Amino acid sequence: MTNTLTFGQEVENLLQAEEGEPLRNCIQCGTCSGTCPVAGFMDYTPRQMIAMINQNMKDQVLESNTFWYCASCYHCTVRCPQEINITELMYALKRYSIWNHRHKAGLVGPDFSEAFVKMIVRGGRSFEPVLAPSYIFSVGMRGFLLEIQNATELLLKGRLPVIPARIKRLDNFKRMIGRIIPMGGLE
Amino acid sequence: MTKKLLMIDDDPDFVEGIRSILTSADFEVDVAYNPKDGLHALQTKPYDLLLLDIMMGRGAEGIMIARKLRKDVKLRELPVLIITGMREQIAFLFPGEPVHPRFVEIDELVEKPVEPKLLLEKVNGLIQAAEAKKAGK
Repeated sequence: MTNTLTFGQEVENLLQAEEGEPLRNCIQCGTCSGTCPVAGFMDYTPRQMIAMINQNMKDQVLESNTFWYCASCYHCTVRCPQEINITELMYALKRYSIWNHRHKAGLVGPDFSEAFVKMIVRGGRSFEPVLAPSYIFSVGMRGFLLEIQNATELLLKGRLPVIPARIKRLDNFKRMIGRIIPMGGLE
Repeated sequence: MTKKLLMIDDDPDFVEGIRSILTSADFEVDVAYNPKDGLHALQTKPYDLLLLDIMMGRGAEGIMIARKLRKDVKLRELPVLIITGMREQIAFLFPGEPVHPRFVEIDELVEKPVEPKLLLEKVNGLIQAAEAKKAGK
């Protein structure tokens, strides 16, 4: 008899292990969904998401955009009467979908995360113009022009750097990352 | 005597594959699907080898386990084989060869997917090295 995990258990394992089985405590009150500022844009609301995970509906959960639209405002977590850390759940699903290459196609989130981490690892600092290509072509013509207009105004006011800032002793920083994880160096 | 191995990995499909390879080679394999259960099993039962995944739970928790092992006087001697799919999971971070981790006295790192032959070779090699070390003391 094989003893494989259900999707619900896999998600529980992604959360902090000492919390036990937080999702099983959900009473489906909908406070999270009612509180969520971006629930209107999600395929499924956070409440539905928890119910789906408890029912092991793996494919539907991973194909939804819900966890990528989460703005991490923590309002659901603060208001949850069962003290479920819903924001952490959203992060867990992001990790799971990236590690398993299972996220929905055409989302900004995964590409944006990758661009951001790469940028930090290379220069040690955030540099906004590098992030733009990961989302700017997916917002439509109107959105694209608005972004350009915004960026130009910021640039003229000196609020957008032209040359990327680098931290001091970048080599030390890179060595530090290399030591944390026993894999090859960084590009 | 059959050797007892512990496998800590959060991917149930991968665990099944590796377990079937190892049990058919007459190893006894216990599995923990999360770092917390894994550490508990290590502290309560004796094992001859640990097979460890890196990306689990909230991030690189496999490395946290390895670091805890190094600090533990009893578990420091336990050979560890790190099996990771990290490079594939976070493809953009790790070009080049894997580094020998040296978390405990005897350890090695292989990458997923693992060839059954290579896996058995490494497992046997690590157990023998650990025994030789014990006998030499």
